[in-house]
Amino acid sequence: MTGALLTRNLTLRILFLLTLLPPAAALGGARHFTYIYEAVTSAPGSVEMENWITWNRTSDPQRVDEVDFRHEFEFGLTNRFQASVYVADWFYARDPKHSGFTYSDSAIELIYNLTNPVVDPIGLSIYEEIRAGDRIFELESKVIAQKNFGAWIFAYNATLEAVWEGDGWQTPNGELQQALGASYEISPRVSVGAELLHEFVFPDWRDREHIRNVFVGPNISYRHGSWFVTITALAQATSTPDEPDFQLRTIFGVGF
Amino acid sequence: MRKVKKILVLVAVIAGLLACESTNFVPPVTSQMAATRKGQHVDLAMLREGRTLLVHRCIECHTLPPLWHYRIEDWPEIVDSMSHRASLKPAERDAVIAYIIAVRPTEQ
Repeated sequence: MTGALLTRNLTLRILFLLTLLPPAAALGGARHFTYIYEAVTSAPGSVEMENWITWNRTSDPQRVDEVDFRHEFEFGLTNRFQASVYVADWFYARDPKHSGFTYSDSAIELIYNLTNPVVDPIGLSIYEEIRAGDRIFELESKVIAQKNFGAWIFAYNATLEAVWEGDGWQTPNGELQQALGASYEISPRVSVGAELLHEFVFPDWRDREHIRNVFVGPNISYRHGSWFVTITALAQATSTPDEPDFQLRTIFGVGF
Repeated sequence: MRKVKKILVLVAVIAGLLACESTNFVPPVTSQMAATRKGQHVDLAMLREGRTLLVHRCIECHTLPPLWHYRIEDWPEIVDSMSHRASLKPAERDAVIAYIIAVRPTEQ
């Protein structure tokens, strides 16, 4: 699919979804992290559009730059339950041989909140995501934990991913991930913090290659009115080939 | 000696977090809170709803400030300015304000 056609299709899908939005909806909530989910779910009736941009630079075994895009609509359904639709995940990749845009997949994501991070000993939510594209099918499950201490927010995610890739989704892979984040609110509009990802990758659901990745870096979040923007920069603390040395993710969210 | 240092650091961190926790103090509703608002239409159910909404909706965007951080007369405007963002209906907004104001006389 060409870049122009992809963009036109995306625009049409987004415009269609916008027509379905209730006129008095509000912001679903501001993110303090970009690689880590928080346990709090969106208010019922709230609708939010989030646009994700992630730049990955890999230099081993060859230099590859990839920019991933995600367009997500998030809906608060009840006091404890929210659903999201990833209208499209697509990316631009450039390596020494070729470059171009590629549509990857679309997905749905469901989060159910169990306990509150302020009044309960720990805030917990469970998460399920189903993603499908012409060369990928993925099931992702998470347990999300969060605790607020004054102006601090601490969040922890434990994630299990089951992925089938390639033509006909024939190549199975698994991944376990744990992620830890801390965010400090320096003013009602601005938070700063750090995120750490620890991945255990199992190609073909085996651990022969013993792939372990650690990424760590700072983040900053700004919110104002019905929008927010959060940025995280992560560097790889391990030296795994084919994994990005550096990642920069921005999420821009706006409520309707 | 090293072990002692580690323990001291751990104790300091826990003490620091506990100190932060006190700023998250969102006390459960008591009949005493309702009594402090005599003459106005406020009941225990409304205060309980206000507390629940405060700890669920407000933290979607920001952490909770200490409730004594602002003057009582400022709270209605503060909550009102964010009520749309938090999807608070007018009655829910009033419940949040009522709870915050009811908590104030019971603060230490």
